[in-house]
Amino acid sequence: MTLTGIKKHVAVLEAAGLVTTEKVGRVRTCRLGQCRLEDEAAWIESYRRLWVARFDELDRIIEEWKVSQHP
Amino acid sequence: MVVTRLFDGPAQVVFEAWTKPELLTRWWMPKSCGVSFVSCDADVRTGGVYRFVFSHPASAQPMAFFGRYVEVIPPSRIVWTNEESSDGAVSTVTFEGQGGQTLLVLHELYPSEQALDEAIASGSTSGAGEQFAQLDELLVVAAVS
Repeated sequence: MTLTGIKKHVAVLEAAGLVTTEKVGRVRTCRLGQCRLEDEAAWIESYRRLWVARFDELDRIIEEWKVSQHP
Repeated sequence: MVVTRLFDGPAQVVFEAWTKPELLTRWWMPKSCGVSFVSCDADVRTGGVYRFVFSHPASAQPMAFFGRYVEVIPPSRIVWTNEESSDGAVSTVTFEGQGGQTLLVLHELYPSEQALDEAIASGSTSGAGEQFAQLDELLVVAAVS
């Protein structure tokens, strides 16, 4: 990735509040910002749990099918 | 949003579990959550429609999920819309056979950044309104307990 490309990526993260940056001389330091993805992480976790619960049930159906194939 | 899982059975069996209402109703709403199917209509072919209606003791009104099958290729691929809201996600599930096992990959694609933000804000996995957020909460509670 080019330096220009990196600058664009960081600018998007900064606009979203995910990072803050500070430029001292030639060095720009990035830190995690105020917005730290808690809402997004919670949503993803609830979504994951729903699908794990569904797939555990689906596993049982497949297990029954296997038993029916080899009684 | 992408979810993957490896199932210990052939793709044909996993596909049937997604397309036959008598099987779908056994796993789509995990038993422990207390939500039950009122009806499950699914015409699983390209251009077909589905309508799932659920009830829960805490909700006076039944809750309907519906949409249409954009693409169905047995036993490897199903693409469907979620039309409970005007900007619901498009879901794609693929089944890839791997020596007697099946790799399932589920994608949900929201039509816009705004639609995804709204889904996250409401706690919903379907981009729908309050009643769906409520349903999701029930499912999450059930999955944790």
